Amino acid sequence: MEFVEDVTTLGNTGTGLRGCRSETKRYITSPRVAETLVRILRGKRKSCQLFLECNPGPGILTRALLESGAKVIALESDETFIPQLKSLGKKVNGRLEVVYCDFFKLDPRSRGILTPPVMTSDMLFQYLGIEAQPWSKGAPLKAIGILPPKNERSALWKLLHDLYSCTSIYKYGRLELNLFITEKECRKIMANPQNPGLYQALSVLCQIACGIKLLHTESCLSFDTYTANGQLAKQKHRESLEQNLCFIQLTPHRNLFTGSLTPFNYDVFFHMLRQCFMKRNAKLIDHLHSLSPIDAMHILKQIKKNKDVKVIDMYPEDFQHLFETIECSKDDNYKWLYDDFMEDVII
Amino acid sequence: MSAVRWGRGAAGFGRALWPAGPPGLLAEEGALGGSWSRKRSSTASPCEQDRRKDWGHAELLEVLKARVRQLQAEGVAEVPVKRVAKRVTVARAPEAGGAQPPRQAQAGAQGAAATPSSRWAQKLDSDQQLTEKRKQRLEGKLRKRVEKGAWQKQLRLEPRLLSRKLAGQLQHWEQGAPRSPWEEQLAQLLQEAPHRLSSEAAAAPADRGPESRLEGQQQRLLSFFECCLLTGHLPLAHHVLVTHHSKSQQQRLLTLSMYNMVMLGWARQGSFKELTYVFFMLKDAGLAPDLQSYAAALQCMGRLDQDAGTIRRCLKQMAQDGLQLQGLFTAVPLSAEERAELLRAVRKAKPTFTPPRPPVPSPQVNTSPLLREIYAKDPAVSYPRLHLSLKELQGLFQQQLRVEMATTITVESVEKVPLLTKEVLHARKTLAGLRTRWRTALYRELQETKESEAHAAREGRLSLFPYLCLLSEKEVVRMLLQTLQALPAQGESLLFLAHELGLRVFKRKQLRNEVQELEQRYSKYLHLLASDTQVAEPCLPRQHWEALGVPEAPHEQPWPMSVVVQLGKQLAEVLVRAAQMPSSLAAPRSPGTLIPVLYHVYSFRSFRQIGILKPHPAFTQLLETAAERTLTFESTDVPMLCPPLPWTSPHSGAFLLSPTRMMRSVEGSQQHQLLLERCPPAELHGALDALTQLGNCAWRVNGRVLDLVLELFTDKGCPRLGVPAPPSEAPRPPEGRQAPKRCLLPEVSPAEKAEMRRELARRLKVAREMQSLRADALYRLSLAQHLRHRVFWLPHNMDFRGRTYPCSPHFNHLGSDLARALLEFAQGRPLGPHGLNWLKIHLVNLTGLKKRESLQARRDYADELMEDILDSADRPMTGRKWWMEADEPWQALACCMEVARAVRAPDPTAYVSHFPVHQDGSCNGLQHYAALGRDSVGAASVNLLPSDLPQDVYSEVAAQVEVFRRQDAEQGVQVAQVLEGFISRKVVKQTVMTVVYGVTRYGGRLQIEKRLREIHDFPQDFVWEASHYLVRQVFNSLQEMFSGTRSIQRWLTESARLISHTGSAVEWVTPLGIPIIQPYHRDSKVMIKGGLQSLTFSSSVDTSQKPNTLKQKNGFPPNFIHSLDSSHMMLTALHCYRKGLTFVSVHDCFWTHAADVAVMNQVCREQFVRLHSQPILHNLSRFLIERFCSDPRTSKSIWVSRLMDTLLSVPKTGTFNLEQVKHSTYFFS
Repeated sequence: MEFVEDVTTLGNTGTGLRGCRSETKRYITSPRVAETLVRILRGKRKSCQLFLECNPGPGILTRALLESGAKVIALESDETFIPQLKSLGKKVNGRLEVVYCDFFKLDPRSRGILTPPVMTSDMLFQYLGIEAQPWSKGAPLKAIGILPPKNERSALWKLLHDLYSCTSIYKYGRLELNLFITEKECRKIMANPQNPGLYQALSVLCQIACGIKLLHTESCLSFDTYTANGQLAKQKHRESLEQNLCFIQLTPHRNLFTGSLTPFNYDVFFHMLRQCFMKRNAKLIDHLHSLSPIDAMHILKQIKKNKDVKVIDMYPEDFQHLFETIECSKDDNYKWLYDDFMEDVII
Repeated sequence: MSAVRWGRGAAGFGRALWPAGPPGLLAEEGALGGSWSRKRSSTASPCEQDRRKDWGHAELLEVLKARVRQLQAEGVAEVPVKRVAKRVTVARAPEAGGAQPPRQAQAGAQGAAATPSSRWAQKLDSDQQLTEKRKQRLEGKLRKRVEKGAWQKQLRLEPRLLSRKLAGQLQHWEQGAPRSPWEEQLAQLLQEAPHRLSSEAAAAPADRGPESRLEGQQQRLLSFFECCLLTGHLPLAHHVLVTHHSKSQQQRLLTLSMYNMVMLGWARQGSFKELTYVFFMLKDAGLAPDLQSYAAALQCMGRLDQDAGTIRRCLKQMAQDGLQLQGLFTAVPLSAEERAELLRAVRKAKPTFTPPRPPVPSPQVNTSPLLREIYAKDPAVSYPRLHLSLKELQGLFQQQLRVEMATTITVESVEKVPLLTKEVLHARKTLAGLRTRWRTALYRELQETKESEAHAAREGRLSLFPYLCLLSEKEVVRMLLQTLQALPAQGESLLFLAHELGLRVFKRKQLRNEVQELEQRYSKYLHLLASDTQVAEPCLPRQHWEALGVPEAPHEQPWPMSVVVQLGKQLAEVLVRAAQMPSSLAAPRSPGTLIPVLYHVYSFRSFRQIGILKPHPAFTQLLETAAERTLTFESTDVPMLCPPLPWTSPHSGAFLLSPTRMMRSVEGSQQHQLLLERCPPAELHGALDALTQLGNCAWRVNGRVLDLVLELFTDKGCPRLGVPAPPSEAPRPPEGRQAPKRCLLPEVSPAEKAEMRRELARRLKVAREMQSLRADALYRLSLAQHLRHRVFWLPHNMDFRGRTYPCSPHFNHLGSDLARALLEFAQGRPLGPHGLNWLKIHLVNLTGLKKRESLQARRDYADELMEDILDSADRPMTGRKWWMEADEPWQALACCMEVARAVRAPDPTAYVSHFPVHQDGSCNGLQHYAALGRDSVGAASVNLLPSDLPQDVYSEVAAQVEVFRRQDAEQGVQVAQVLEGFISRKVVKQTVMTVVYGVTRYGGRLQIEKRLREIHDFPQDFVWEASHYLVRQVFNSLQEMFSGTRSIQRWLTESARLISHTGSAVEWVTPLGIPIIQPYHRDSKVMIKGGLQSLTFSSSVDTSQKPNTLKQKNGFPPNFIHSLDSSHMMLTALHCYRKGLTFVSVHDCFWTHAADVAVMNQVCREQFVRLHSQPILHNLSRFLIERFCSDPRTSKSIWVSRLMDTLLSVPKTGTFNLEQVKHSTYFFS
């Protein structure tokens, strides 16, 4: 964080404080939408479920959830909403906990001094008194939120990194995320070789890691956008208004780490996919040459693909299979050309 | 085409297709001569035979040839010759049948395409019949030589003119050509008034202004033409010029200097017809010929022995254009031979003409009041001399010359000798085999690349072809192999690699050629320095050098970044394609296919991808096993073996053959060079002489220290003492990056695996850091070992603020404690009455103890500890190891040894010491600020005032902060209460030190936060608030103590902000006269597409971009102070030299012999007073007003008027009396 001024070009994958200033956020302000969501999330259950709501803002959904009998932890990154939420909490005798915290900026990669709303997940979970659960167990809680509209993709990448490395929130178990995401992105993360135009590394990673369920679609018009400090912002772009937001459920697979893909080597998997999708129309074999010194033909034979197979012809499972094949190959000294040093290179 | 030439070409047949020797030699005949010759043969004029005699740059060629011979003597690989032979047989087969018709058809088509020249083509054909016989003979030879495809395309040599009138004239003349001499045309053409003359004249002043710079594309064109000329591909340059000229869009890019350059090329060859073509085009473009154009034309006439009438007409026209005949000889850079030809032409018309003598360099004298004494002739001075005889120095010169001719130097590594096991020997053999294979492959790839680039050039594109021809293939191949060898295991970014390679080509092509002349001149120069010679009049090295000959030819412009990177990328790609190894190296059981050694992979960071070239791990392994013990350095990265050339201009000095710039700057920036070139030469004398003097200090290696360091280095290292440990000591997991066994077990939870990953990453990081430290030390120590028992010199240049640095990066006196301890003066000096005392004081200074004690107390302390000191000197590794506890242990040890030797000498005052003793400024930046603002309190705290004990500004600031804190605590400010007892010198030191150099509150807070975190019993919850509070108080305290300083800083910042808003970069001139400009502009992006990957880089030095206001403003105060401290250092250096002292500096740390410390201190103080007695700020204000507010066109701008107001209100100064500095013992101590 020492170089906050300098990271502008890096985009912000939740790394620094940057973005706090001019970031706009979407909030649920329509009671109708809130009702719909509660119906989807709660079904007919009456039990006292625990929800983690990210950036509730004015608290419309929070109220609806509380009314349905659930317990809610509200993580709000905008200080202006905090008093309002806290006063709501007082009415429901302890079923609402309000924390000044930015869910999408938990555990920034560059450690420095953290000042709220940026904090570590350890700080948060300790405060909330939530214990870590083993991966094989169910989720300790469900999170609900809206991906930050300006940088949906970087937020997704960050979540995936955390998930594959079993760190941050995923250190505490297989958290289920219920997120609003723009329809465009939603179609991308659910794409496969059948819609090659949308297919990308992010699609593969999401699908390998989680079960993705589309729960609901809602027009952007039903949301309000606020700038920082809780100012209501006018929505400028017509097209962004005509867009839909999809409410999707991301449940990490229980068996994600049962094969040879583990939090130990996930970065190689990430690297493999990014490198492959750099030139997505190229043949896989050409990429293999710059990924692994192992004989490419031999690998292809093992995963039962012919030598002309292209990157965009590979289904997510095929990629996982490919990775595990290389990772398990016995008799080669060097399996990958990738070296995690490269992540640190600074030019 | 003359037979002479063909004969030569045929003789060089084997090498002709792709010259293996340096460029220019054979390329001329072999490469493009083929197609070119056909045209030329038809118009051969009687005098053509004649001009062959002095054809081309004969002189240059001689030198180049000498170099080829030298290179060949080292053993030219036979491979390329074989390869060429094979190629020719292949090429001949398809040619043999009907080579003639298709080529003619193509020629016809070409001619038709070029509208005005279709008839010209016909005429050519008819002309050809006249010389049928000769041509057939030539064709026969040609067919053998011409490569398939490569030479079939005609180069367009006739211009396509856009002006119809000129085109008509050209056509007319061409038709009547056989009889009418071409020179008639030129003379008439000259009389045509250029129709865009007026507009050109208006543009001219702008050209000379600071905005004068060629835009990217123009820079590229110019450097392309330059390279073509240099490599002898003149027809190609002409072709590209014509192609550009014929399209009005592209024509706009062409400048007069480009036409002039091509014209000059033709003039050197004596090709009058082509020269006239260019002249036509020049007129067509509406440009007015200048002195250079006329010089070229006349030179050509001189070579062709033209009749007087034509020349007279030409001269007359020149006079009408308002150009002086004298100017040809004074303002145009010419070689001696060119001069002679030019004179020959002029004398024909004016037999009595005598060229003006070249301006004698000496009468220019620097006028700066600060330097008056330095250049005063009386009282007579005797400058110091070296301890070496003329003969010895001449021998050293020869050694250095050999090193630079070889361009690289191979040094034995100090790494432990490996046991020569079977394995090692096998690996070495494999490597040798691979290298032979790669050499062949590289030659092949390089040739193919050249071929395709040549093809592109023929299409009229600015290809890389001439650049690729600059160095011999052998040299390029060697360079690429070295690159491969030196590539780190984790890979290197492609952009970086490309940039390096491109720059290396540029640097090597610049190598000076006039070796013989240099040798003579240098030998005479040595008379000034050698111990056993006399010179008539004592003078400075630069003055002596200038008196020995004419100033050197102007240097070449640097290439634009895009060319450098593109060329480097092309070469990197050649390397990637060529370097292959058998896959059996990686996996012994796989079949014998070839796999690449280099991989192109991406590294991803957020949304950016960085392309990286990475060696195959098996190759890295092989290199490690082979453990070859040689390191290769560029000859310019190594200290010199003889005294450097004195600096005589911004681009000549230091190394013998490799041109070095006096001012180093960010790559790709030209603004500094432009400023320096525009500066009157005498203004720079101070800087030139100071740099020369710093470089003239002779050094030697401290052998005993080196022995001890090496002992540690080859053993296990000692990080505490700055000796990095070998990789074997790193916390490296045995399986490398592979997962530990436990990681594969299913029962281990994912979270645990994540933890293992973090642990591994941590270890790898430590290992990598150790490795890079180790590599640094290896370079340094290997060079030290290489230079042991020798005398060497560290040539210096400076950064854009005038701070000086040694040119050789790995081994110099600027480095760490260890690096400094390895060096001592090669020249000794008896200690004299006080030398021993200074040695003792220096030793105590190095320990970091007794900082606030008087000199006497420090000396007494050393006497008290004498036993420890002697013990350290005698048994450094086995004794009490007192030296190891010092702040600067290795220097302390070296000093212990020196003290021991001195006290044991029969007469310590006669003991000859080589040991450098340092004197440091105490917070030098603040010293300059305090003097500028005449702050009394501040001046006292940084030792500008005489005092019995040294003052410590950090303690005083801490005390002041404590005063504020107590006040606040009493007021009940919580954080002030929490901080009670925690405010110390250490907490504030870094911030005070850096505040002078522009640290902001933001940065200051981070520094203080770090310190507070180090204090264990400080309540960590308060760190953020406390650091915030403290940085505010530190700034307030500084404000209180250095009131003038802060207002000066603000004034500088504000001025810079306003200047930047007016659209200019901040400029100023140091008190010594060095012009300075801040190279901070908004980023401009350059993209190079195609190939392995597209490269994008941004550059902040593009002067066509607006200035970066933030950087301009924040950079001005520290840069300005640095320009002052460098001036102080230079003044001290020059005066010390005049007093016969040895003097070197590390910025604000001055070094000399123990015997001379007192003299140096005196000079240092005097010069500080002299410097600050100048009205520095008022001078600055005047300069800035003159530079930025005097343009009537912008005077109405709101920024300019605000700037004017700010500049006029120069900050008021305090009451400090500067003279007191002269008596301050602890000013530098």
